[in-house]
Amino acid sequence: MSSNQLSTSSASEPATDKRKWANPSILAGLVVIIALLPLLLSSPYILHISILIFVYIIASVSLRTITISGQFPLAHGAFMGIGAYLAGMASRWLGWQPWLTIPLAAIATAGIGMLIGFPFSRLRALYYAMGSLFFGIGVIYIIYAGGTWTGGYAGLIGIGGMFGGSRVAYYYFFLGLALVSVIALYRFEFSRIGINLKAIAQSHLVASSVGINEGWYRILAVGVGCFFVGLAGASYAHYNTVLSTSSFNFMATLWLVMYVLIGGIDSFAGPIVGTIILILISEFSRDLKVFSPYLSAGILLIVVYLMPQGLVSLPQLIKSRLFERRKEKKISHVPGN
Amino acid sequence: MELAVATVTNLLILASMYILVALGFAFLFNMLGILNFAHGVIYMLGGYIGLALISALGINQWAALIISAVIIGAFGIFLERFCFRPFIGNFNRIVMICVAVIVILQTSVNIIVGTQITSLPSFAEGVLRVGLASVSYERIVTFAIGALLLGAIMWFVNRTKWGQQMQAISQDMQGAFLQGINVHRISALASFIGCALAAIAGCLIGAYLSLGPFMGDFMLVKVLILAILSGVGSISGIFIAGLVLASLDSILPLLVSGAASDAIAVGIVVVLLLIRPQGFFGHEMEM
Repeated sequence: MSSNQLSTSSASEPATDKRKWANPSILAGLVVIIALLPLLLSSPYILHISILIFVYIIASVSLRTITISGQFPLAHGAFMGIGAYLAGMASRWLGWQPWLTIPLAAIATAGIGMLIGFPFSRLRALYYAMGSLFFGIGVIYIIYAGGTWTGGYAGLIGIGGMFGGSRVAYYYFFLGLALVSVIALYRFEFSRIGINLKAIAQSHLVASSVGINEGWYRILAVGVGCFFVGLAGASYAHYNTVLSTSSFNFMATLWLVMYVLIGGIDSFAGPIVGTIILILISEFSRDLKVFSPYLSAGILLIVVYLMPQGLVSLPQLIKSRLFERRKEKKISHVPGN
Repeated sequence: MELAVATVTNLLILASMYILVALGFAFLFNMLGILNFAHGVIYMLGGYIGLALISALGINQWAALIISAVIIGAFGIFLERFCFRPFIGNFNRIVMICVAVIVILQTSVNIIVGTQITSLPSFAEGVLRVGLASVSYERIVTFAIGALLLGAIMWFVNRTKWGQQMQAISQDMQGAFLQGINVHRISALASFIGCALAAIAGCLIGAYLSLGPFMGDFMLVKVLILAILSGVGSISGIFIAGLVLASLDSILPLLVSGAASDAIAVGIVVVLLLIRPQGFFGHEMEM
């Protein structure tokens, strides 16, 4: 009896977490609608935006996977660039097919990420963030210094495309890739390894005292995150066929972090919601021309000041505002608290 | 000889400018634990406000330098009060608000001035010749202002009551609060000084090199490197880190061409960080 209760109580937490948003019928309906979208709207512009959203969903969800281990990487855009440039260079200079370059580039990105993660597992919290930031900047300089091999300042052109350039085929390819990646990362997060990672994030001392190999698990998290972001970057290279460093530099990394934070870093759905909302806003405000960045900044400010848990907490926030009595206002805060 | 003199003067100017901007960043980082990613943009805005004062309003450029510093300093007080103070200790929200500030300021400069590279009128004309070597007065003036300000800041931090209160807060914020130090007022003051210094550096670099909407990104990276390498709570560490970084930036391009020198410089910084994560001079940040 008691053991039964224990097992349910320990299993109930992830279960309720799932039930909040992952109602299977609603999710299946969403997937069907998304899969039918090209039949309803064949505008190439809308397909292009959807493909961008799929690519960045993979990138932002994999970024969050690294953060559940308590590491805050500021080099994820650079890792996307590594995947993209490796695939692009293999296609441009060796003439390899996309079916070969995409998985190989993803594996190579994961390898580089784990190799870098080995010395970086010395660093914690803020220092890890700063170290990875400097690494990301170094990657961009290496791409600049690559001359003709990487295209340098001018950018890499002439990467082989796929599907004869058909947008609809690309759409289904990226939809499948995003679905597979998101499901894989979801399984990873709620697997035994993911729970170990969360334990490390809460207290690395307690985690290592109960026999969790902290360094190895942190490197593993970086490897998994880098694999998927390399996958996204490599397939993006074969979609865009032109690469420049502006998609992978420090500001691009910060925007990836924004996708995660704006949706809510505490929930698995957060980066997906954040990516969709921010990309839609920046694409559909093109008519405002130079003024369009103000909209994204406005959303950021709204989320910072009004929604501490990100956009995914919005339904709950509205519910608590409408139906629950407001809590007493906090006493003016003491600094440091 | 010519090359050596040019390299050394360039090194000194770069070092003084890096340190000027990094000091303001380090004040907030040490006292409140805030990584102000918007500091690069504030530096850029200082240069542009100086340009606007000189070219649009026709103010004397020395007056413009001071007015720009005051305006940006006031903006720093605003930032500290409304953007940083509510979120002390929350890294994620500080990053978000900094990105919002970066986007708003860069977009505004893009709309009002445009993305083209401009520059401020130079602060001093002419060339000083000593024997074989020749140094332009502009370089001397830029370095002199930088050195003077750095000396003044060191005096302020070490010798005045407010400066010592800043040091107390960066050692232990709650302890300082219990001793009756007005933490909020002192951090607003630190933000004012930091942003004003960044604005002065922006004006000086705008006259010495050039002014562009994205020059802040470059400086932000340098500032982060300086603050992290020197460690938390060490003001004098920033001077040494600034000299090291400036010598990397001015000597490496002589040996390796193009972006490879930048890549090597960043590589050296990463290795230094891995050797001593908590910085070379300060103490480790408590988290």
